[in-house]
Amino acid sequence: MRTELRPAYILHRQPYRETSLLLEAFGSDAGRIGLVARGARSGKGASRGLLQPFVPLLLSWSGRGDLATLTAVEARGGLPPLTGSALISAFYLNELLLRLLQRHDPHEELFHAYELALRRLTAVPQQPEWTLRLFEKALLQELGYGLLLEHEAHGDAVIQPAVRYCYHVQQGPLRDASADLHGPRLHGATLLALAAEEGADERVLAEAKTLMRTILAQYLGTRPLRSRELFRQTYAGRTDVSAAHQEDEEL
Amino acid sequence: MSHSPLIGRLIEALRCLPGVGPKSAQRMAYHLLERNRDGARRLAEALVEAVERVGHCRDCRTLTEAEVCPLCSSPRRDRSLLCVVESPTDVQALEQSTGFQGLYFVLLGHLSPLDGIGPEDIGLDRLAARLDGGEVQEVILATNPTVEGEATAHYIGEMVHSRGIRVTRIAHGVPLGGELEYVDGGTLSHAFHGRREV
Repeated sequence: MRTELRPAYILHRQPYRETSLLLEAFGSDAGRIGLVARGARSGKGASRGLLQPFVPLLLSWSGRGDLATLTAVEARGGLPPLTGSALISAFYLNELLLRLLQRHDPHEELFHAYELALRRLTAVPQQPEWTLRLFEKALLQELGYGLLLEHEAHGDAVIQPAVRYCYHVQQGPLRDASADLHGPRLHGATLLALAAEEGADERVLAEAKTLMRTILAQYLGTRPLRSRELFRQTYAGRTDVSAAHQEDEEL
Repeated sequence: MSHSPLIGRLIEALRCLPGVGPKSAQRMAYHLLERNRDGARRLAEALVEAVERVGHCRDCRTLTEAEVCPLCSSPRRDRSLLCVVESPTDVQALEQSTGFQGLYFVLLGHLSPLDGIGPEDIGLDRLAARLDGGEVQEVILATNPTVEGEATAHYIGEMVHSRGIRVTRIAHGVPLGGELEYVDGGTLSHAFHGRREV
C-alpha cells in the first residue's frame, strides 16, 4: 500500500538502529501513524533537518501494518520555527495527541485544529493558553467526548453568562445549587467563550484551564504529562512580575 | 562459515562499534589476528584503561580521567564565558573551529518532554550552582538546532536570565559556500527569521 505526499506532522521521533529514525506522525487523512525513516540520521540528505516536530510536511510512505516505511519527505512551508514558551506549548499538543489518539484512526478535523493551533502559537507566542484550550476542545470533540457548552445538562435551559455552574464530568453543566456536586465550578461566561471561541479574559482563562484539566484527566489516566511539568519548571525559577503571572498561568 | 569460539567472540564484540556490521567485524578481527597483533594488544589495553578510568569532569561534565578536565583547569581560559553544549564531541568541534577561549558545560543530552527527560537528567542543577558561583558573565547556548535543542536552550535561557546574567544563542543559517536554492526549507526559514542588520 503506497501513500503519496500527504500533509502530515511529526509528533515524535527517536533514534532507531544506527542511522534510522522511528517516527510517530500525524497525517491529515491517515491519523496517527508509525513510520521508519531509513538512513534519516546519516549523510547530508535534506530530509535530515526536515523530519522534526512542528514542521509542515508532505510525507510518502509504503507498507501496511503498524510500521510503514517513509519513502519521501518534502516541506510544505508556511510555518516559521517555534521558539520559547510557544515551543513548550507545542510539545504539550504532541503529548496529548500521542497519549489520546490510536494509530490509524483518521481525524481530519483534528488535523486542521492542530495546524491552526501551531499557527496561533507562532503568531502570538506570548499567549499560548487560549490556543491550547481551543485545541483541547477540538480534541475532546474528535474523540467523542465533546463538551456541553451552550445548554445545561438537564433540560434545554440556555447557559447564562453570569450564573455559576458546576461542570459534571459525565453530565455537563449543572446549576451550582448544592454543595455536594463534584466538578469544577465556573461561570456561564467561560462556557460561552469556549463555545464561541472568543472573549477570553483572565477569569475565563483560569476557569477554562481548570475545566479542561479535570475533563482531560479522565482520559489521560494517572501518568503525568511531562510537557506540563517542563512548562512549570521553566518558569518556576523566575522572580520578576511577569514571571509570577506566567507561572500562575502554566499550561 | 563458522569461526572458532574465541574469534567468534571477538567478531561479536567488534560489532558494538557504530557502523560495524558482521562483515566488517570479521574483516577487522582477521586483520588484527593475522597482521597486527601488537596493534590489537595496544587497542585492548587502551580500551580497558579508558573504560575503567574515564569519568566526567566535576565542573563541565565532559569525559575525562582527571577530576577536573584540562580545559576547566587551564589558567589561560576566560572563566567569565560559559558555552553550553549537548555532548563532549560538540566541545571538540567548537574547540577545533571557533577559537572560543571560555569554558564549557556539557549537558550529555537535551530536554525531551515526550521521552521523559527533564532538567534534572541533564545536570541543570549543577549548571545552576555554577551560575550562582558568580564567575560567569555570559552564557552561550550552543545546543543543537533541533526542537529539543531549542527547548533546552529556552529553558536554560530562562534560568540564566533570572540571575541577571547575559545569555546568547548561536546563530543558525545557510552553510558557507551553499546556494539558497539547495538549502532545506527549515534552515532557510531559520536564517530568514534570524536575519540581522548589516
